[in-house]
Amino acid sequence: MHITTLTSKKFLVAVAIGLIIVILLATVPLYSPGYTVVLLSSILMYIVLTVSWVIFSGPTGYISLAPAAFFGVGVYTSALLGFVLPLPVVIGIGGLVSFCLALLVGALTLRLRGIYFVMFTFGLVELILNFVLWWEVNITGTTGRVVPTVNNTTVYYLMLITFGILLLTAYLIRRSRFGLALQSIGQNEDAAAHTGINVTALKTIAFAISAFFMGAAGAIMATRWTYIDPRIAFNPLLSFMPVLMAIFGGMGQLYGPIIGATIFTYLEEFLITRFPYYYMLIFGIIMVVAILYLPDGLVGLIQRLWKRISERKYAYT
Amino acid sequence: MKHKVLAGSFVLVAVAVFLVGVSATNSLAKDKIRIGQAIALSGPLAGGVAIAGGRIYVMWVEEVNKNGGIYVKEYGKKLPVELIRYDDKSDIGTMTKLLEKLILEDKVDFVFPPWGTAWLYAAAPVANKYGYILIGGPGGALKLKELSLPYFFQVLNFSETQAPALADIFKEVGVKSVAIIYRGDLHGVEYGEAMVPYFEKRGIEVKMKKSYPPGIKDLSPLLKEAKSLGVDAFCAASYPPGGMLLTGQAIELGINFNAFFITVTPFSPNLYRDTFGKDVVEGVMGGGAWNAKTSPGAKEFVDKFVARFGMEPDYWGGLYYWSSLQHFQQAIEQAGTLDQKKIRDIMAKKKFNTALGPFWYDKDRYFVNHPGEIGQWQKGVFEVIDPGKKRTAPPLYPKPAWPKK
Repeated sequence: MHITTLTSKKFLVAVAIGLIIVILLATVPLYSPGYTVVLLSSILMYIVLTVSWVIFSGPTGYISLAPAAFFGVGVYTSALLGFVLPLPVVIGIGGLVSFCLALLVGALTLRLRGIYFVMFTFGLVELILNFVLWWEVNITGTTGRVVPTVNNTTVYYLMLITFGILLLTAYLIRRSRFGLALQSIGQNEDAAAHTGINVTALKTIAFAISAFFMGAAGAIMATRWTYIDPRIAFNPLLSFMPVLMAIFGGMGQLYGPIIGATIFTYLEEFLITRFPYYYMLIFGIIMVVAILYLPDGLVGLIQRLWKRISERKYAYT
Repeated sequence: MKHKVLAGSFVLVAVAVFLVGVSATNSLAKDKIRIGQAIALSGPLAGGVAIAGGRIYVMWVEEVNKNGGIYVKEYGKKLPVELIRYDDKSDIGTMTKLLEKLILEDKVDFVFPPWGTAWLYAAAPVANKYGYILIGGPGGALKLKELSLPYFFQVLNFSETQAPALADIFKEVGVKSVAIIYRGDLHGVEYGEAMVPYFEKRGIEVKMKKSYPPGIKDLSPLLKEAKSLGVDAFCAASYPPGGMLLTGQAIELGINFNAFFITVTPFSPNLYRDTFGKDVVEGVMGGGAWNAKTSPGAKEFVDKFVARFGMEPDYWGGLYYWSSLQHFQQAIEQAGTLDQKKIRDIMAKKKFNTALGPFWYDKDRYFVNHPGEIGQWQKGVFEVIDPGKKRTAPPLYPKPAWPKK
């Protein structure tokens, strides 16, 4: 009895803190200077990419380097349909196209394991990039496209809503049998298959769900760029960033990638503006230190610190 | 549950710190003009920034400050200039974000352009949205005209004026047929498409027109194909990696044409002339162009640049950017204020004297008085070979064969 009230009290506190954060984020454009919204949009974009990456790669342990491909598909959807359809519809379509692409690609290739899968996903980015490039140069005779722009606040809210839906999806997957099955695939794929789990189907669906959100993020962010071409849309950097951010934050908990992406983006912004000529060096050192000393990411560090503090507390009392 | 609460409060604190951090803005008395620039200091474009254009902005700021700054009547004194540079990592998303940071958070007085056509394309609407003047630097495309942005000024010349000049030169020297290859991107496609009608109108046959993917490692099949067609002139719309590869392979295989033209690359004395040697590149044509003979101001600019950086400036845009900044400075001084709108109106209408001579923009805010369109390496000098009075030397045709190794 005592334990349950304690837990529910803590649960309430957690919910309250969550609510405050949501309210804070939702009202940012009302009181803060213009640039905060721009920066937060960019942070949210990286959070969306990282969390959606973790949906698939976290439990299954399959390292996917395909985010740039799905993001780029969303960007191109925005460029092609942005002038004819309302933005929310474009975002939905961007996500769906990525989803379908991931289903197709996943069904064909998720039988690959380990390094082969990593190689393939990275190849996918280049494959789509060069296909679009070939198409644009030889069929449509242009490579650059103009994307209709919207104001920064709209971009921010769209990104926030996408983030909210993604968070809910990720939470529900984690709590479901589906999530459990994914975890068992990550621990031992053969054993999972023997217990009757259709491993390929589940992996493919998880891959596609994560692609949906990457595509949606791409469709939103494209409106900030005005001009795109295949090299800009399918930027390999966006394949590596989510992986780094997830490692930095820690993948064990849902909030790990969120903290990782936030601090990573903010840190990068801070360093790039304060030390434009040295930031890469500083950034590299931070990454090396993080990987060497924080095997479970920032979340692991927080948990360890908390454990130490609470143990000391008990020791003194 | 415990650590969730902890993580939650951690995030809350982080959000709070973040909001406080970005809300704090500085308001100082006006003692300098702050100019922001988000440009590639790292990534694939950084090399281009270093050899073409990037240093001009640094040198202009130093030059202005050496003279005590820019006189602004509103403040009744000369204000020195401070250049705030951020690295866009050669990434468009980062560039637009940093440009907005400069405008919204750092509240700089003016902004300078990023490097590269696509980057310029993305930056122009952003600057325009906030009513910031953007004077185009390295980069330019016909497509930008379609956006018709009142605060955007195009400085560099591109296919629109270079393609007809090249066709005129070819007609003059008697080129009968050409082969065109172009990089599969905005730059390549635009030049590739633009050249054809001008050649055809002057009775020059286009025997081959092919694109190649950016990042290609072997262009020799295209060179051989053009050679087998027996064309007089070989034209390539490429960026430095392609331009260097193409020249290197043509030398290696001993494939010679009567005229050899590459849009971007030959203009660089450091990268192009000094890599291959001035005797080797004799007769190669490239987009540009100007040189120390263009005007007394141009000579002075080259000398200053060499004294400052120990190398020559690029002979495509160097003088263009330098002069556009001199025009800008005079517009500010005449406006007597740092108000963007007032300066913009003066810039759009007024003609000022600069290193290249009189400098003004047309009704689309495009700089028109180009010092030259097409250059050719002759005895280590990038001569302007346009027909007309801008010519600094007659075209060398046929181009001497690559020296035998």
